Amino acid sequence: MSSSDTHARHPYLAEHYETIEKQDHAVRLGMWLFLGTEVLLFAGLFLGYTVYRHFYHETFHEASRTLNLTLGTINTIVLITSSLSVALAYHAIKHGQRQKCLGLLTFTIICALGFLVIKGFEYQHKFAEGALPGQFYRFHEVTGPGANLFFTIYFLTTGLHAFHVIVGMSVLIWVMKGVWKGKYGPDYYVPVELGGLYWHLVDLVWIFLFPLLYLI
Amino acid sequence: MADATRKPPSEAERHAEHGTGRYFAVWAILLVFTCLTVWTGRMDLGAVNIFLAMTIATIKATLVVLFFMHMSEAAGANRLVFLMSFLFMALMMIGVFGDLWTRNEMTLPSAHPINFGPE
Repeated sequence: MSSSDTHARHPYLAEHYETIEKQDHAVRLGMWLFLGTEVLLFAGLFLGYTVYRHFYHETFHEASRTLNLTLGTINTIVLITSSLSVALAYHAIKHGQRQKCLGLLTFTIICALGFLVIKGFEYQHKFAEGALPGQFYRFHEVTGPGANLFFTIYFLTTGLHAFHVIVGMSVLIWVMKGVWKGKYGPDYYVPVELGGLYWHLVDLVWIFLFPLLYLI
Repeated sequence: MADATRKPPSEAERHAEHGTGRYFAVWAILLVFTCLTVWTGRMDLGAVNIFLAMTIATIKATLVVLFFMHMSEAAGANRLVFLMSFLFMALMMIGVFGDLWTRNEMTLPSAHPINFGPE
C-alpha cells in the first residue's frame, strides 16, 4: 500500500504538493512576493511625486489645499474600517463561523463601494473645476508652474489605487463565493487569508497617499 | 495525525490563538492616528509637517502589516520577501534624493536666468 493510499488527500491539495502545509506555505510565500511587487509599483509613483514636489514645492502645497479634506478623511476611515472587517472575517472563518464571515465580507464590500462612490464625487468635482492632468488643466485657483503636474499625479495615483479597490472587491466576492459554498473552514482558510492580505495592501497604499495628497 | 506531531509547528499553528480584541485595538489606534494626522496636517509647521505626516503614516502602515496582515506571526521567508521590497524602495529613494538635495539652483525648473553682471 503506497503512502498516498494510507492518508486521504486533502480535497484542495494540488497533486504536486506532498502535504497541505507545504502547499499553504508556498501559496503564502507567493502572495507576499506579489505584494512586494505591488509595493514597488506604487513606489515608482511615490518617487515621481516626491521629485515633482521638490521642484514645485509651493504649487503642490497650494494645490493639495484645494482637495476635499473631509471626503479624504472619511475615505481613510472607511478603508481602515474595511480592513478591520476583513481581519475579523479571517478570524471568523478560522473558527468555523461561516455566516459571520460572510456578513463581515459583505460589510467590507459595502465599504469598498462607499469608498469608490466618495472618490467618484471627488473626481466629479475636479472635472467640473477643470483641475485635470496635463494639457486639460483649466483650474483658475492654482496657476503656478507644476499645478497640472500635481493633478496628473493625483489622478494617476488615486486612479491606480481605485483600480486596486475594484480588483480587491472582485477577489473578496470570489472568496465569499467559496465561503458560501462551504469550501473554507477551520482546516482550510488560506484563500480567505490571501484575499484579506490583498485588501490590507489597498489600505496600506491609501495610508501613504492620503497625507501626501491631502495634507502636505 | 501521527505525522503532524513529528513536524515543526506549521505556519497556521504558529498563528497564535487570540481573540478579536487585538483587531479592534489596532483599528482604534489607526483612527486616533488618522485624526492626529489630519489635525497636525493643517497646522503650519513648515518642514516638520511632511516629517510628521510620514512618521504617522509609517506607524499606521506598520500596525496594519504586523497585526492585520499577521506579519508578526508570518514565516521568515514571507517577512523577507515583503521587507525586501521596502529595502529596494529605500535604495531607489536614497539615490534620487541624493541627487535632488545636492542640486544647485541652476538645475531646478524654477531657476531664473543667471546674471553674470556686466561683461
